[in-house]
Amino acid sequence: MRKLLDLTFRAAAVLCALLACLIFGWIVSAIVWRGFSVVNWRFLTEPMRLAGAEGGIFHNLIGTLILLSTALIVTTPLSVGTALVTAFYIQSERWRRLCLLCLYVLNGVPSLLFGLFGFIVFVSFFGWGKSWLTGGILLGFMILPTVSVALVERLRSLPPLRMEAAAGLGLSRSRIVWFVLLPQCLGGWVSGSFLGLARAAGETAPILFTATIFAGASIPSGIKENPVLTLPYHIFILAQDSFDQAIGGKVWGTALVLLMLAFCMSLVVLPVRLRIHEEADHV
Amino acid sequence: MTGIRALETESVQAQKLARRVSLTQWTSWVLCLIALTSLAALVLVLIHESWPVWRVAGIDYLAGKQWLSSRHLFGAAPMIYGTMAVAIIALGCAAPIGIGAAICTSELLPRRARLTVKILVELLAGVPSVVYGLLGVLVLRGWVYDLLEPLDPLSGDTLLTGGLLVGVMILPTILTLSDDALRGVPASLRAAARGLGLNARETICRVVLPQAIPGIIAAILLALGRALGEMIAVFLVVGRQDNQWPERLWSVTPLISPGQTLASKLGGSEIHIAHGDPLHWAAMVGLGLLLLGMAGGAAAAAFLLQQKQLRHAQAS
Amino acid sequence: MQLQTAFFVLAITHASCHLAQANPAALRINGSTTVNLPVAEAAEILRSEAQLAITIDTQGGSSGGVSLLGDGRIDIGMSSKPLSQTDRSRFPKISFHETRIGEDAVALIVSKDVWNGGVRSLSKLQAQGIYERRITNWSQLKGPNRRVAFFNKEPGRGTWEIFARWLYGDPNEAPAAAFPEVGGNEECRNRVGATRGAMSQLSASWADGKTVFALGIEVEPGQTVRPTPEALADHSYPMSRPLLLLTDGEPKGNTKRFVDFMLGPKGQQLVAKHGYLSLEQLGRLRSSPSGRGSN
Repeated sequence: MRKLLDLTFRAAAVLCALLACLIFGWIVSAIVWRGFSVVNWRFLTEPMRLAGAEGGIFHNLIGTLILLSTALIVTTPLSVGTALVTAFYIQSERWRRLCLLCLYVLNGVPSLLFGLFGFIVFVSFFGWGKSWLTGGILLGFMILPTVSVALVERLRSLPPLRMEAAAGLGLSRSRIVWFVLLPQCLGGWVSGSFLGLARAAGETAPILFTATIFAGASIPSGIKENPVLTLPYHIFILAQDSFDQAIGGKVWGTALVLLMLAFCMSLVVLPVRLRIHEEADHV
Repeated sequence: MTGIRALETESVQAQKLARRVSLTQWTSWVLCLIALTSLAALVLVLIHESWPVWRVAGIDYLAGKQWLSSRHLFGAAPMIYGTMAVAIIALGCAAPIGIGAAICTSELLPRRARLTVKILVELLAGVPSVVYGLLGVLVLRGWVYDLLEPLDPLSGDTLLTGGLLVGVMILPTILTLSDDALRGVPASLRAAARGLGLNARETICRVVLPQAIPGIIAAILLALGRALGEMIAVFLVVGRQDNQWPERLWSVTPLISPGQTLASKLGGSEIHIAHGDPLHWAAMVGLGLLLLGMAGGAAAAAFLLQQKQLRHAQAS
Repeated sequence: MQLQTAFFVLAITHASCHLAQANPAALRINGSTTVNLPVAEAAEILRSEAQLAITIDTQGGSSGGVSLLGDGRIDIGMSSKPLSQTDRSRFPKISFHETRIGEDAVALIVSKDVWNGGVRSLSKLQAQGIYERRITNWSQLKGPNRRVAFFNKEPGRGTWEIFARWLYGDPNEAPAAAFPEVGGNEECRNRVGATRGAMSQLSASWADGKTVFALGIEVEPGQTVRPTPEALADHSYPMSRPLLLLTDGEPKGNTKRFVDFMLGPKGQQLVAKHGYLSLEQLGRLRSSPSGRGSN
């Protein structure tokens, strides 16, 4: 009886894990199966024609990349500053915890609300209209907690000996930050950023009202009224409004490209992520 | 004489230099403040913009069961119900599977197999929500419709469809974080338990799980936060029907009927009609504020739990 | 090091100041997904032939077109319904100018099982009955024994306003009804096609007759009108609607160029290509007396 229970329990757990893998396999194969025939070099390098029925997704791809790089540029200084303050400059444990709490809550804010906030502040109040910069800033703030927490964890895990050695050499605190701390947490920055960007790449809600349109935008030439085309919005619109069967294939193709983009970014950080988790291994 | 004085001034200067806040430190503080004020700004902007509806409708805004924008009647209760229903269905599907899979990866599988599963799950976490939405529209909706055939649902767009879709979306969050929590339990405890003659199930259920439970609850809360705020995927499959307040709170029928969540309401075209009408606009933004309260609350609770467990682990 | 940081900050500020100018050239268009089809293609032609920068979006449907034009955030609003007094009074600063580029019908569409079950037309009273939930089963209309799954277009969509105006005279008079909502045209077609006993309103040119079927409308007992071009032209089909380009005042400059293109032969060809009635077809059908589209 006892043995049977044990066996059932193990089997159930293994089944759960299998199910998780199966779901993943099904999602990927469903997308690949439907979208594979559409994706080729021309699909990636041609602009969209006939409201999505013809041509490719060149500008959508470029637009998504523009948003992502802007988000990275916005989030890097902010998250490095936040992480330094949280992990290094703040002396009181209580304040540090408060900072972390804020980061966690910011992480929990639904992405849609960033869009609403951006619409009220940037689009209406600042009068920027739809702009790639708004989208970049919003996505940057959205992934800020991910990057910051990764950096804080990295900073906190540095051996104190190294800091003491640096201080012993007579380096000022600023110099310790620039020459000892920051180079050490490059790994944390990479893993946090790409993890965040993988999430940001597929986000539609924050940019829906603020940064992206369906057709006609190419490379932005300014800030105000300079929207971009993006992959997720393209899918979102065509899922509701594709008027002929030819578009069906294009939608799945676009989904496949977006999926691959997100996977590439996840794969970049995979080794770092796994190492962090495996370091906590109980041997 | 002069030499000593020079030495003195030098050390005073050094002290001053140490006390002076360096540019690096100053910049860091400014950047950190910008980052954290963004949260405050978000809250304040939402409160400011939604102020009229709180003043006019007051508590009825939360408790009202009717949302009729043409008559300026704004009750958010059906949407709060829809949001909770979707989130609870999602957790109901994802939590058992996620925790079960986490037990499997952390306790049962050999290293190589565990890595494979974890890689797949990391990738699964990166699938964009709009892709889930697309699969939901074209595949899941039909499945749910056919599956529920005996219950005679009106269509495949139901709260259940939304819940199932979100359940798949939050599965990686629960799995990864539960796995972390389980692996945080010291190996010595396991060894001791096995030494006492307990088998794998007893070790896990009686020794490991009780230790990891705060971390697992934190994982569930974080997933809950994500489930509450998911818009795109839910928007496409939930049916978006207003004023679906159930007559009996725990009955099943409302779950297999179309409904509306806070997020799906905000994603629709109503926001364009509302723009220009102060009270209607305030009511729409107010939904965002409610959503922020729910999701932010879940995130904060998760954080506090994690911290508690961390301190507990350090103390023991 | 600190100097470098300061310089870096300065450089970024400078660069952003340099970039912070509006893009004055782009012609911004937003609105109805129905009007979008010919307009998007026209924009593609003008973009390549005349180097006009034109951006197109379909957020919020017709109401999005009206409200964004009212906010001054677009140059041309696309609308698949005539402007109402409410629309105009919401934005008193804007003098809305309508340019009609074509004509379309709103069809009542049903799924295949309803069509095959024998429901081929509805009267206004019956449609009201469905909208007010007095008719909840197709058997009440001599159709199959199946519940009516009515999908409503989002309020503010042109299609919905035309439907509500037909049933109640004024969209504001329509009873507050809660139905599952659909947004875009394909979303609507997809839902109705995939649901048994389904019905909705949709632009007639999207009713393909394969997955969804356009019902006739029984204007008088025994007399049914189908959404044919002829019935549209002589207004015997009750839910006809203009396809409009909205501008603030008379179109000027690039806006005028675009509007003129849509009114010209190439633009009108695009209107006809997507199954709508072009102005020329409309005029021809109106002038010929034999164009009564009843059956």
